[in-house]
Amino acid sequence: MHRVWKHILIITPLFAFVALMGFLIFYPVAKPPAVEMADARSAISDAFKKNAGIYSEKLFSEAKNCYDSAMSCWTSENQKHRYSRNFNKVSDLALLATKKALEASIDAENNTANLNITIREEIARLRETDENLNLRFSKYPMSTEMRNNISKGEILLAEAELEWEKGEYIQAQKKLKDVEKLLVPTYEFADANLRSYFRSYPIWKKWADSTIAESRTNQDYSIIIDKFSRKVYVYYNGELQLTYAAELGKNWVGDKKVRGDKATPEGMYEITKKYEGDSTSYYKALQINYPNDEDTAFFEAAMEKGSLPRSAKIGGMIQIHGNGGKGADWTAGCIAVTDREMDTLFKISRIGTPVTIVGSLRDLRYALKR
Amino acid sequence: MKNRILLGLAAIAMVAVLASCGKKPQVEIDATNAAIAAAQTAEANVYLPGEFAALQDSMNAINAKIAEVDGKLFKNYKEVVADLASVKTLAETVVTNVAVKKDEVKKEAEGLLSNIKAVVEENAKLLPKLPRGKEGAAVIEQIKGDLTAVDATVAEAQSLFDKGTYMDALNKIKAATDKAASLNAEIKEVLTKAKIRF
Repeated sequence: MHRVWKHILIITPLFAFVALMGFLIFYPVAKPPAVEMADARSAISDAFKKNAGIYSEKLFSEAKNCYDSAMSCWTSENQKHRYSRNFNKVSDLALLATKKALEASIDAENNTANLNITIREEIARLRETDENLNLRFSKYPMSTEMRNNISKGEILLAEAELEWEKGEYIQAQKKLKDVEKLLVPTYEFADANLRSYFRSYPIWKKWADSTIAESRTNQDYSIIIDKFSRKVYVYYNGELQLTYAAELGKNWVGDKKVRGDKATPEGMYEITKKYEGDSTSYYKALQINYPNDEDTAFFEAAMEKGSLPRSAKIGGMIQIHGNGGKGADWTAGCIAVTDREMDTLFKISRIGTPVTIVGSLRDLRYALKR
Repeated sequence: MKNRILLGLAAIAMVAVLASCGKKPQVEIDATNAAIAAAQTAEANVYLPGEFAALQDSMNAINAKIAEVDGKLFKNYKEVVADLASVKTLAETVVTNVAVKKDEVKKEAEGLLSNIKAVVEENAKLLPKLPRGKEGAAVIEQIKGDLTAVDATVAEAQSLFDKGTYMDALNKIKAATDKAASLNAEIKEVLTKAKIRF
């Protein structure tokens, strides 16, 4: 009897242990959504590769948050008794993470493609603005600040382009905004100034036509200076004979107003004096009758109106002279040509030879196309 | 005797069951996380973003695997430990690769910076040679503006370089290089036109 009890005492716990093991092993328990979690990870990883973190920040961050929540939910379910675990929420969150990550991927792809096009267009537009600034206004009088803005803008534009090429669209876009602030107002100012300058075109044309007609009538030489094209045209008997490059005063846009404004006057003049040798510092010079009656009347009217300072004085000593060919507008308002060209001009000119200075011989459309 | 054998077997079975409940490899997890953090500190996300993202993906997969094992009755972290070791090694390799890449970018930036500084220096030397007086004033004024902009960009690039942000420095230098070179050409053209030797 004692032996039987001993067997029972040994076999019972052993049986119970085996039964328990069997129960533990074979009783169905909730399975964690490992596959769904792997899918979510893969979708998030793909979205990251498509730069969704930058170009679809909200959706990508939501996807990551869903995944993190799923992970923490999974961990907290693991703390529970294995038979009371429920992974439905984990699964739902994993699926939501996948959905959001896929949406973020598509959104990022679209945004990237759109940004790529937008930035490319923006770069092209600003490049065109810069090219126009250089083509139309490289010799246009502008303040030091404006010139500095153009320089800064050009360097920033190059930086933005490099970033765009590397696919760093956000940085490129930020830089382009700064470029816009530097280049566009400068261009708009110069453009408006140019348009306003060309309002006098009909008068210039009339002066030029009259000068050419005078040359034909007198069968003599006439000189026309085109400030915008920086050209000196020599006519004989109404026919164009010579064309030279001209260099002007630093502030050549607009008519000369006062002494020292470094502007080249506009009007119909004639040669009043010829200088050569020691009488000029500029090789040879042909002085014109600036200010003429019209200039004096204009100056006096401006003084009366108070549009000029009281200390202002009318300018003078405007000449066509040598020492030119420097490739810049450097005179105090005179017209400079090379010494060799000056020799020719000096030879053909006499006291009384007409010299007409115009803003431009061609209209605004030409100036804008240039 | 028979009873003792049975008792012994039962005890072994119990020990085996208990022994199979492995411990979470916290030391390995911490070491791997530290290796990934070190890669981030080394700016792997800047210089080797693809490799860094792969590291993070692998760690996320391991975390999921750990959660899976955590939920099991008989926990076996052997595979997890092996994965952790491999990701840790990968993170260490990334740190080495980042150092190499960073050095490459640093050298490129250094070379370009030294080139552009030479051009800037030459421009500064040529500037006083430009025609003096009213003839050159307008040209000098315009060129000075351009030179100031280039100088400012070079200074910014140098500051970024000194801070160790070589990628950003490289971008700035590349952008200013063309401008500095075109200015150099422009100055030389003015000097040639004015028949001034340089």
